[in-house]
Amino acid sequence: MTKKDNQKDEAMQQLMKDPRFKLLTAVIKKNQNQSDTLIQILHQAQNLFGYLPMPVIKYIAEALSLPPSQVYGVVTFYNFFSLKQKGEHTCLVCTGTACYVKGAEKILAAIHEKYGIKPDETTQDNKFGLQIARCLGACGLAPVAVVDNEVVSKVRVEDFMPILEKKIGGKP
Amino acid sequence: MKPPFPIEIDGKVIQVTEGQTVLEVCQANGIDIPVMCHFEGLPDVGACRLCLVELKGVPKLLPACTLRVAPNQVINTQTEKIKKYRKMIVEALFCERDHVCAICVANGNCELQDLAKKVGVDHMRFPDILQPLELDASHPYFVIDHNRCIMCTRCVRVCAEVEGAHNFDIKNRSYKVRIISDFNQPWGESKTCTSCGKCVAVCPVGALWSKSSYQGKIEKKKEAICDLIRKRKVNV
Amino acid sequence: MSREDLKQMAQRIQDDKKKYAYTIFACNASGCIPSGSEAVFEALKNCVKDRKLEDQVRVVSCGCMGICAQGPIVRVDPDQSIYQKVTVENAHRIIDEHIIGKTPVKDMLLFSHEKEPLINSFEETFFKKQKRVVLRNCGRIDPQSIDDYIAEGGYQALEKVLKRMGPEEVIAEVKHSRLRGRGGAGYPTGLKWEVVYKYVSDKKFVVCNADEGDPGAFMDRSVIEGDPHRVLEGMIIAAYAVGAQKGYVYIRGEYATAIKPLETAIKQAKKNGFLGETIMGTTFKFDIEIRIGAGAFVCGEQTALIASIEGRRGTPRPRPPYPAEKGLWGYPTLINNVETFANISAIIVHGGEWFCETGTTKSTGTKVFSLAGKVKNTGLIEVPMGISLREIVYDIGGGILDDREFKAAQTGGPSGGCISKEYLDRPVDYESLVELGSIMGSGGLIVMDDTSDMVDVARFFMEFCMDESCGKCVPCRVGTKQMFDLLNKIYIGRGTMADLKVLEELAIFVKEASLCGLGMSAPNPLLSSLRFFKEDFLQHIQRNEKVVKPLI
Repeated sequence: MTKKDNQKDEAMQQLMKDPRFKLLTAVIKKNQNQSDTLIQILHQAQNLFGYLPMPVIKYIAEALSLPPSQVYGVVTFYNFFSLKQKGEHTCLVCTGTACYVKGAEKILAAIHEKYGIKPDETTQDNKFGLQIARCLGACGLAPVAVVDNEVVSKVRVEDFMPILEKKIGGKP
Repeated sequence: MKPPFPIEIDGKVIQVTEGQTVLEVCQANGIDIPVMCHFEGLPDVGACRLCLVELKGVPKLLPACTLRVAPNQVINTQTEKIKKYRKMIVEALFCERDHVCAICVANGNCELQDLAKKVGVDHMRFPDILQPLELDASHPYFVIDHNRCIMCTRCVRVCAEVEGAHNFDIKNRSYKVRIISDFNQPWGESKTCTSCGKCVAVCPVGALWSKSSYQGKIEKKKEAICDLIRKRKVNV
Repeated sequence: MSREDLKQMAQRIQDDKKKYAYTIFACNASGCIPSGSEAVFEALKNCVKDRKLEDQVRVVSCGCMGICAQGPIVRVDPDQSIYQKVTVENAHRIIDEHIIGKTPVKDMLLFSHEKEPLINSFEETFFKKQKRVVLRNCGRIDPQSIDDYIAEGGYQALEKVLKRMGPEEVIAEVKHSRLRGRGGAGYPTGLKWEVVYKYVSDKKFVVCNADEGDPGAFMDRSVIEGDPHRVLEGMIIAAYAVGAQKGYVYIRGEYATAIKPLETAIKQAKKNGFLGETIMGTTFKFDIEIRIGAGAFVCGEQTALIASIEGRRGTPRPRPPYPAEKGLWGYPTLINNVETFANISAIIVHGGEWFCETGTTKSTGTKVFSLAGKVKNTGLIEVPMGISLREIVYDIGGGILDDREFKAAQTGGPSGGCISKEYLDRPVDYESLVELGSIMGSGGLIVMDDTSDMVDVARFFMEFCMDESCGKCVPCRVGTKQMFDLLNKIYIGRGTMADLKVLEELAIFVKEASLCGLGMSAPNPLLSSLRFFKEDFLQHIQRNEKVVKPLI
């Protein structure tokens, strides 16, 4: 066994000690290790861990007897799944048609100016991550953003930035 | 054996049997249809769109590789529209990644090159969408150069369906799709790859080659793979 | 359970409700939640408790009433008074003044900008030109309660079908209604059912497509949030008609607020014998499972949706064979959209003939639209097919925001197109929209005013399609990226007339040579903008300098 393999096994060992690992095994068991439930299991895993760490993906592939590349292919196909840890605070800006027409890009530009990050990026201190959504289905209230699970609707840039700063706590 | 029935292709009446694809019929009757993602014996995916044909009564164009014959079909395979789109598909493939024949291992032995000659592509009319990609030479015997890959997925299918290893799959989507090995690892670190070389044999271009080949010299044993699949099917 | 049992049950529940003098409906759909509706609902409940009115006033958390922009919305029945922008602070006034004091709170009533505040406003203005079939119960019942649905006549269609109709009769009735698929393409629903019915197979599936991926559309979500049992009933009837034993609802992962009521509804339906083995005492069995999507627009395409339910990458495959022949795991599969299923129970109860009375000859019934963009009344509407765009924008939508000039209406999302003001009086039905280079789509309708730049809009949709392309077939994978690059070039003022020509050539190529509906329709927004708003493009090309922010 090479040195690299050893390291990887350590990551797996680490995972098995994690209390959330038990919940993940329960989810897989509930789905009877059926390969067609892969996406449903990935959803649950992401709920548990906040994102999809590599050892988790490996464990799921093993448990469902699926080829590694196929599982990785599924994870990267869907927007919802993230291989990277998200920031401590998150801001999700909707860029659906209604929000776009009503100026969602102004908000993104303001965030970029202030925090220097673009969608799918996190500030260097990992404190604040920015994401975009295709459509949150709240078009009547466009433009819409979600800051740490709280929905802010009919966002105007000048009103929005103070809200964001308050949440994140000052400058990055 | 099911009884044969006639269909019309390019004005000719041809006897066919149920279960055949239009592509098979055309190939058996000397009707030339270019293909790229199709490989004899592998499951067809209809992705490259080169084999598009017109079926009378259907407004959209259909790929011959997945279209099954049915009674009363009238098919056209060589209309001006189809020829134009075939050329545009080849042009699109050239625009997508870095295809420089002069420095390619597959030069002179490349299906994309042959196609370009056949449909008459000699310069690029459309904007390219090139993005520099990596070349993975971590495998002891083989190399994969993503810059030359045309995403025909023959290697993915031959590895999963014929070798049964499923080392390769595809990651991401849109123009960002790439062939990956296991968990997006260097090929050399793959645990599933059996180093059988089938992927190299079926690759239509110079994206996959064995380290023993050099510029302009590549050996691809495509017939061997076709033969293998055929014999296996007979024995099953 | 017999028809009489069901009717008695409905009667009993209705009688139970009669003991309440008032019912307060507090909208808690995704349109009102961001405005703080959950807290308002709690405040109303606590206030009723405080005033010791629990025996007389029922407070219900309900689905979308349609007037999302004015949310949170609260309705007081039987007076049908609608209150807008209710807050935790002023919620008690509804109880104190309206219910105890018997005088509606004038300054909180909906449409207070009218000359007279509308006390019984439900049938006025916004709702006047609407006809509610699919949304009948939406905002009028508690979506978490199967009793409420049964009291409104729910599951009577299922009873009728199971006890008194054969599968062929059901299909004949649906065919007679000339109902067409509400997901976008408008394929006749009855014909689809018949095809699946005719295939002989030991297993068949029914799938409800709730992967509402169009940006700017939220109809399916609202229907599921507000009246989930209506969708389930449609699915069960469909399963009986085609002979399926198992169903799936494929719903977007983003729709957390719709997944919960749907789960509850499935549980309730099972408990009450409308799902599971021996449905309503017959030998018919059917079960429904929820599958949660993970953010891929292409999964709205039938074959991609199948791949996704099977747990694979959501890439489409060439058709034929159609899912009706070879669908989930190779078995015949019926796939319909949420709104299509939601129409079924009404068709069975009132008959196909009744359904045809609404709409036009070729497009019967009603259509739900989510009206958004630069109109005054944004929200959820249901209108008879064939209504003019002008009526939707000006009568229901109340006209353009800030009284600006109407420029375009976008229908069908990234697969549709923009309709210019010359065509405002064209009827909205499947054929007319296709004629105008757009499509009905799933029902997103976004209004743009004269400040909208159509090149930017075309670029927005092209970026969407480029990103959402599954990357399988060459024309879509390469072509959408090439077109986006060209549009961007034109937008930032570096484009030439030659670019415009290449753009048009690529658009037609991608439209005709792509594998699935996504690629085939991706050029639609561009082509329709080029057709109606060519000046916008020419302006960009002529003006060689324009300061632009980078696109997201």
